[in-house]
Amino acid sequence: MTTQVHATPLTTLGDLDQVLTQLESVLLGKRWQIELAVACLLAQGHLLIEDVPGTGKTTLAQALGASLGLPWKRVQFTNDLLPADIVGVSIFNSQTQQFEFREGPVFTSVLLADEINRAPPKAQSALLEAMEERQVSADGQTRALPKDFFVIATQNPTDQLGAYPLPESQLDRFLVGLNLGYPAPEVERALLQSGDKREQIATMNAVANPRQLQQWIQAVQSIHVSDVVLDYIQALLTASRTDSAGLSPRAGLALVKLSRSIAFVKKRDHVLPEDVAAVFPALAGHRLTGQVLSGEQAAKAILAEVKQP
Amino acid sequence: MNIPFFKKKRAAAKLQTDAMNPRSIRALAILILLAQLPHVLHLPLWVSIMGCGVVALKLFEEKLPKLVKKLVLSSAGMTVVAILGAVLIKLHFGYMLGRDPCVALLFILVSAKFAEIRKTSDAVLLMCLACFLLLTQYFYSQSFLSALITLPAVFALGNALAVVRDPRDARPAQQNIQLVVKLLLQGAPLALFLFLLFPRLPGPLWSLPDDATAKTGLSDSMAPGTISSLSLSDAVAFRVDFQNGIPTPAQRYWRGPVLSDFDGRKWQKGERSVDVIPPESVGTTLDYTVTLQPNQQNWLFALDHPTTLPSSNTDDPNQQRVLGRLTGDHQLLSLNKVSSVMQYRQQSSLSSAYRPAFAPTDLMTQTAGVNVKTEAFANKLRKKHRSDTAYANAVLEWFNQEDFHYTLQPSLLGDTPVDEFLFGTKRGFCEHYASAFVVLLRAASIPARVVTGYLGGEMNGDYMIVRQSDAHAWTEAYINGRWQRYDPTAAVAPQRVEQGMAAALPDDEPVPRMARNNANWLKNFQLSMDKFNHQWQRMVVDFNNHSQTELWEKLGFPKPKLWHLTLLVLLISGVWCVFILGLPLRNSGQTKSGVEKLWDKYCAVLNQQGIQRLPDETAHQFVYRAAKQSGSKHDKILQLGLQLIRLRFEPLSKDKADHLNRTLTKQLRRIKYSF
Repeated sequence: MTTQVHATPLTTLGDLDQVLTQLESVLLGKRWQIELAVACLLAQGHLLIEDVPGTGKTTLAQALGASLGLPWKRVQFTNDLLPADIVGVSIFNSQTQQFEFREGPVFTSVLLADEINRAPPKAQSALLEAMEERQVSADGQTRALPKDFFVIATQNPTDQLGAYPLPESQLDRFLVGLNLGYPAPEVERALLQSGDKREQIATMNAVANPRQLQQWIQAVQSIHVSDVVLDYIQALLTASRTDSAGLSPRAGLALVKLSRSIAFVKKRDHVLPEDVAAVFPALAGHRLTGQVLSGEQAAKAILAEVKQP
Repeated sequence: MNIPFFKKKRAAAKLQTDAMNPRSIRALAILILLAQLPHVLHLPLWVSIMGCGVVALKLFEEKLPKLVKKLVLSSAGMTVVAILGAVLIKLHFGYMLGRDPCVALLFILVSAKFAEIRKTSDAVLLMCLACFLLLTQYFYSQSFLSALITLPAVFALGNALAVVRDPRDARPAQQNIQLVVKLLLQGAPLALFLFLLFPRLPGPLWSLPDDATAKTGLSDSMAPGTISSLSLSDAVAFRVDFQNGIPTPAQRYWRGPVLSDFDGRKWQKGERSVDVIPPESVGTTLDYTVTLQPNQQNWLFALDHPTTLPSSNTDDPNQQRVLGRLTGDHQLLSLNKVSSVMQYRQQSSLSSAYRPAFAPTDLMTQTAGVNVKTEAFANKLRKKHRSDTAYANAVLEWFNQEDFHYTLQPSLLGDTPVDEFLFGTKRGFCEHYASAFVVLLRAASIPARVVTGYLGGEMNGDYMIVRQSDAHAWTEAYINGRWQRYDPTAAVAPQRVEQGMAAALPDDEPVPRMARNNANWLKNFQLSMDKFNHQWQRMVVDFNNHSQTELWEKLGFPKPKLWHLTLLVLLISGVWCVFILGLPLRNSGQTKSGVEKLWDKYCAVLNQQGIQRLPDETAHQFVYRAAKQSGSKHDKILQLGLQLIRLRFEPLSKDKADHLNRTLTKQLRRIKYSF
């Protein structure tokens, strides 16, 4: 079963490079965040971006969908959003005299859930259920979502007014918590000179297709993780557990998965300790403290505590 | 305003970690109850019930009505309990500063502290208090059994420590027990080592204040019935280790209080006589060590007649201290009340007569004039026998010939006990015969007095047990300038001297079990227990400075200086701790694979060259930097490092990995020697 996959990865890597390059052309100076976002996609996880408005969250989602040739949709979360606004609703067709299900925006590949913490918990959990199960239940029927269903959710820093913070259990469903941050001065100058990137995205060509994406996802699973690296991962987990909120075994599994993806993105067939160390803040941050920014600090403190092999 | 709720939750969680959970409470309750257990035997019943009751109350806290819980199990409620306890103890004992009331108070205070426990830090304090309470039971007894009875509490202490240390991690009970057993076993060699070698102080640092506890054993007065009631007790009076020979049964007169004041019915200690220097030893002398059970009196016992003052049980002349004095009537008195087990060395010469330092006073011939018949009989007999010795022997002869009976159950005597005994009932115990004999001698103007003490003793292995049932009274008469011992009981019942009380008494009399001559298994068992306890006392409780010196001599070393010893103790304890603590450390870190050891060696070789890996440096960065700093060896270091990283992280077939491992090991060795 997996023998077929084994032959593919390194030959198709060139295409992944193209994806990264194209993304970098619209999201200037954010190479690491782009790699992490792609790694997250390849690890079949969902991405949570925490940042102030206007730092390129939507641009990243749009560009990712366009480059991979995936359909994408966007839902703006507001405080009056209902679950049906996400999942879809059955309406009565007077011609056929039957109820028809009108699919909601969740039936897509890349879903951008903007300002997810502005919506009340009920709407949040409708999305989060879809993320976890990759299927949606409506009107007593279960409908599967596309194989490459990928959510990029953005949230405002929780100290802003009108925010409903996500509970820890739901934060745990996001593989990566990311902070885009302001661009560096010279990058910002380039951005200001070149103008809005939205038009560029509109004309962007797909440099990969969904079939390739599935191959890459398969290939990531065969990346080698040595015992030494697993020891290191275990040591990190143990170190995080001295405090009351430590990392769960699920987080440990996610760390292995994400380390594999990032090694794949870096064109290696094995995971190095530095891969683990690099993804650790993005993976552990929001799980440790509930916030991406403060969590990164906590995660870095744990990294400093454990010696890299 | 939206406050992120997880912050609140965190804060709550933090508060909870310091609060006590039911598991800790249960573990602590078991510890406290087990620490209280040995005390229940000797504390007043109400103290035990109050102390244990408070613990039980806290233990079943959840089942109590809320109001009771709030009122009683609070700091204020427990303060009331503590004050109430203190007042009741004062009322019960009548005094506060002494062993019994203080232990009782501690008993109640520990319970009260437990009932109002709130935080983990309280638990640690409580465990210290429980240990202290446990130790105080040694004020009462230091026997092997009392050491044994503390063991469950020691175990419970380990358990409580384990539970309180890690309250959230609910290990199954079996694992907890295994942990505690392991910890105790790890501690045992250290405890033994410290017991044997830890420098000991020559004497106790403090002593217990005297308690108003009941006096036991012989008293300083004698009336009909005093000694016979004592004879019904199996309790041990003292134990003796002989250094040079064991006295024959007829020589086992253990001299105690000497009574010379007579009011017609009751014998009492005479006027306070001055202390004397022990007489020169004559004839056979015996050296022995007496281990005296506490009797709350001043009496010390020695074989007739003591020729030294009692001294502490040590060979070191610097440590030798005199523990008692000798009165004019040759009675040994200790300097302090004997309130705990006391050991002293003593020497006696085995003679039945001695020459006193000064002649007896007229008081020694007073008969109180009550027993008129007796005096008349004495005057009649005196006329037949000129010499004092002949007269005394005639009295003994008369005792022997007449129909006198030796019994523990004599008839009751009235106001003229000696008359009634000699010419009426003719049934009596040693005190009757001693009393009558002295009155008969005094009536004939021969100075005489009663000596009480113990006659007999049973060898149990290599030491002798003397029991309360061996209590005896005999007499001394001042004849030809010497105090001569006469035992009138021997004239009536010679077996008493040779074979003990049981042989001398008729068969139907109630003799205490341990005094009976026919051995049964229970007696044998008790004797073996006693032997064991005596060994325990000798080997463990009395292990002192001197025993340590002996131990060193046996090992063939001179005793080291104190600071040498301290260093040695610290060193060995340290090594043991490192050994014990180091083992789990080694085991918990998964054993490093061969490849990792190779990498460690690589790093060690570079470390020797002053190239150290920085904390945030990746393996690759380190290898490149190290190669750069190695100058001429750049390529070798770089290649070896990169290959090692390959070996560590890359997927290699087993054959390839083994091959690479061997090559790299060789390369590393070569590089190491090239430096």
